[in-house]
Amino acid sequence: MSTWKFWKKSPKPKDFVAEFLEKNSEKIPAIRTLDQLEFVVLDTETTGFDVEKDHVLSFGALKIKNRKIRVSESLELYPFSDRSVSSTVAIHGILEKENRVTLEDFSEKLLEFIGNGILVGHHVGYDLEMLLRILKPFGLNRFPNPVLDTMTFAMRLDHGPFADLSQIQKESYSLDSVCERFGIEPDDRHTAGGDAFLTAQLLQKLLVLGEKKGIRTFKELI
Amino acid sequence: MNVIVNRVAEFLKHHPPFSFLEKEDLELVARQVEILYLEKGKILFHQGEPAQPHFFVLKDGSIQLVEKTPKGDEIREICEEGDVFGVLALLGKRPYLLTSEVLEDSLVYAIPVEIFEKILKENAQVALYFAAGFASGQVVIRQDLSQGQKARGLFKNLKGDHSLMIFSDQSEVKVSENVLTCPLSTPVQQAAQLMAQEEVSSIVMVDAQGFPKGILTDKDLRVRVLAKGLDLKTSVQDVMTTPVITRKKSDGFSNLYLTMIRHRLHHLILTEDGTDESPVIGLISDHDIFLSMGNSPAVLIHGLMNTLDLGEMRKIRDRAEQMLLYYLDNEVSMDFVSSVMTEINDVIIQQAIRISRKKLQEQYSEMDKIKFCFLSLGSEGREEQLLRTDLDNAILYEDVEEPFKEKAQEYFLQLGTAITEILLACGFDPCPGKIMASNPEWVQPLSQWKSYFSEWILHPTQEALLKVSIFFDYRSIGPHSSLAEELTEHIYQEIRKKKVFLNFLAQNALSNPTPLGFFKGIVVEKSGEHKDQFDLKARAMMPLTDLARLLVLSHEVVGINNTFRRFEYLGTLEPNYSELFTQAGKAYEILMRMRASEGLRKGNSGRYLNPKSLGKLQRQLLKNTFSPITELQEIVQVRFQLDYFSK
Repeated sequence: MSTWKFWKKSPKPKDFVAEFLEKNSEKIPAIRTLDQLEFVVLDTETTGFDVEKDHVLSFGALKIKNRKIRVSESLELYPFSDRSVSSTVAIHGILEKENRVTLEDFSEKLLEFIGNGILVGHHVGYDLEMLLRILKPFGLNRFPNPVLDTMTFAMRLDHGPFADLSQIQKESYSLDSVCERFGIEPDDRHTAGGDAFLTAQLLQKLLVLGEKKGIRTFKELI
Repeated sequence: MNVIVNRVAEFLKHHPPFSFLEKEDLELVARQVEILYLEKGKILFHQGEPAQPHFFVLKDGSIQLVEKTPKGDEIREICEEGDVFGVLALLGKRPYLLTSEVLEDSLVYAIPVEIFEKILKENAQVALYFAAGFASGQVVIRQDLSQGQKARGLFKNLKGDHSLMIFSDQSEVKVSENVLTCPLSTPVQQAAQLMAQEEVSSIVMVDAQGFPKGILTDKDLRVRVLAKGLDLKTSVQDVMTTPVITRKKSDGFSNLYLTMIRHRLHHLILTEDGTDESPVIGLISDHDIFLSMGNSPAVLIHGLMNTLDLGEMRKIRDRAEQMLLYYLDNEVSMDFVSSVMTEINDVIIQQAIRISRKKLQEQYSEMDKIKFCFLSLGSEGREEQLLRTDLDNAILYEDVEEPFKEKAQEYFLQLGTAITEILLACGFDPCPGKIMASNPEWVQPLSQWKSYFSEWILHPTQEALLKVSIFFDYRSIGPHSSLAEELTEHIYQEIRKKKVFLNFLAQNALSNPTPLGFFKGIVVEKSGEHKDQFDLKARAMMPLTDLARLLVLSHEVVGINNTFRRFEYLGTLEPNYSELFTQAGKAYEILMRMRASEGLRKGNSGRYLNPKSLGKLQRQLLKNTFSPITELQEIVQVRFQLDYFSK
């Protein structure tokens, strides 16, 4: 992250950001059981893997409440961008979508959707960084929500809570490999919505597995 | 449509009833889906629980529907991918009749009833699809493209929607226009008398203007009046069902029928304008609907009972085959299917007996009093004859004293020949081995039958054992079944005297050709007419029938002839093997289904099938049916000490 941005005075948060922060001011009680938690499983497709240079092409998310994936509460957004998309089109197969939204619309819809849910994704830190790039101009510098990375969650479940994650082969925990191991069919890969859907199914299975290992509450999960 | 909704829709659209939906409706449904992940051992809903606001489609995994009975759990259905279940919530709004247990980690799509109710109202095809499922007593709604169904409903032609087939002509539903009515103050006894007079099963209570206020049915009389011991002078308005649900006649068949299904009505009142504030003009009962389904078992049997015309009988038997096809396509339980087909075959035989006796009555008037019973042997004896494959039958008559002996022999041979001819005319194939009631060898008095069986049991030669496999599965079609019971008693006495007979039988049961080769490939015929085809009968079904027969005989079980019911029963006798027996029974049902489907498709006995024409999954399913065979054979090997037994 370059320093000038870091020191740049944050703009006054937009109303929808303020509202979002307000929603998140109330913390989730540590003893809340898994069934009662609301997860927002998300994924982004980007032009590349450089948080500085690349940007979000599409965003997909859906909610899990009471352990159920709610298809009705799913969201897919294609934000506008001023950059060329040619470099990643070949990989991700994303073509210019007709109905792209402005970055402000995108941010407002995004924050309204995620609310105070637990943010879940595979290697989700990257997705959140990318999203913050869009959100910063509207006054959001970091997500106040609890975050759960299905990649590290899967590692934890395999290797125990105190495993040195840096010693673990990352390749065998890619979304593809983990899904394969859990018998989740990976179609529609490389669309944000498709990957979010896969990740949600993965989370359902991980939660069951976790519960068997004693993870029953919010505190034990996060 | 976003990717996620699209993905859900993609799955649903391959599975009826969703396949009948227009794109917009499909999206509407897909958008409302909730996805549940259930681990093995979880329960999705319990029997008796109020219906959830969802019904379910199994996306992945395996879930069984179990009925909890005082005698223990009874598995009613095992759901596979694409199966729709928990649908009572949608149609009946009643508590669940079954408990759903997760057998393997499963992904389940929950579909809100609310959204579907609207579709049911607007889409007649979907409505009828559900209605058809319910009419045939299904607890699971299956279809053709799901993996499981593809495997089980082998060889199915995808030629459109069979579910509508049972409604042969919807416009022909008879509506009773003379509805029996009575005033609200009528005493129940008088109402019952009116019903008895008119020979109807319901009576409608009307007010002074003729508007329907309530209805009383046979069942209400039983449950609300007699069982409660109410005074016969009780006024009908105290026991009637009220308010009544009414429709108008012009609503159309599917709507009327669906109304009845939704509200669990046996009788639906039709009024002039469709409300209960208008005069009664008609009544439709589920019996009327039943009769309008040309291919329903009740109608076919009714038809058979009322004709002595061979052409007509043949036609009805042909129609039964259509019904069979419908059942097979719709995964109706094999237990039900074989019971229905057996009932139809039995009625045909009984009619044939009646016709033949009548024909011979004049010539042999004194013979008509001799007791006899007609025995069905082989697959018909086991209540497993779905297609009109070979006839195996015989006649058993009571012993007659000397002066009449010869005459009786002559009479029964003529009778047997006449019956056989009628059955052939109805489309059954003759037995190549001439084991038929037209063969003098198999038309015999009880004493002779006893000595036949004694001989086979005492001297179990290769030939005798072959006979055993056909004759031991006899079943009396009447009229004097007590003779057959006497024979059975005799057989068990003989076996008790010569236990070693069972060892021979066991050895024979193990001598069937194996279904799998050394490299676990399905063994096909090496040469001849059926080169490269798999002999379903000899390699898969016979081993199971032989094993079931052997074990049932060793337990001295009487009266259970059907192979899968034999296994079921053996499971109760030997609880430690109950799972294996259950599997064996299920395997046999699958094989019967495969054979009947193949036979109907090819217009033959369905005995041979080409493994190459099977998909990978179907092949696997077929192979799976072999595993209980091997396990059972091992048990028999040990139990009957065949290793020490002279070969």
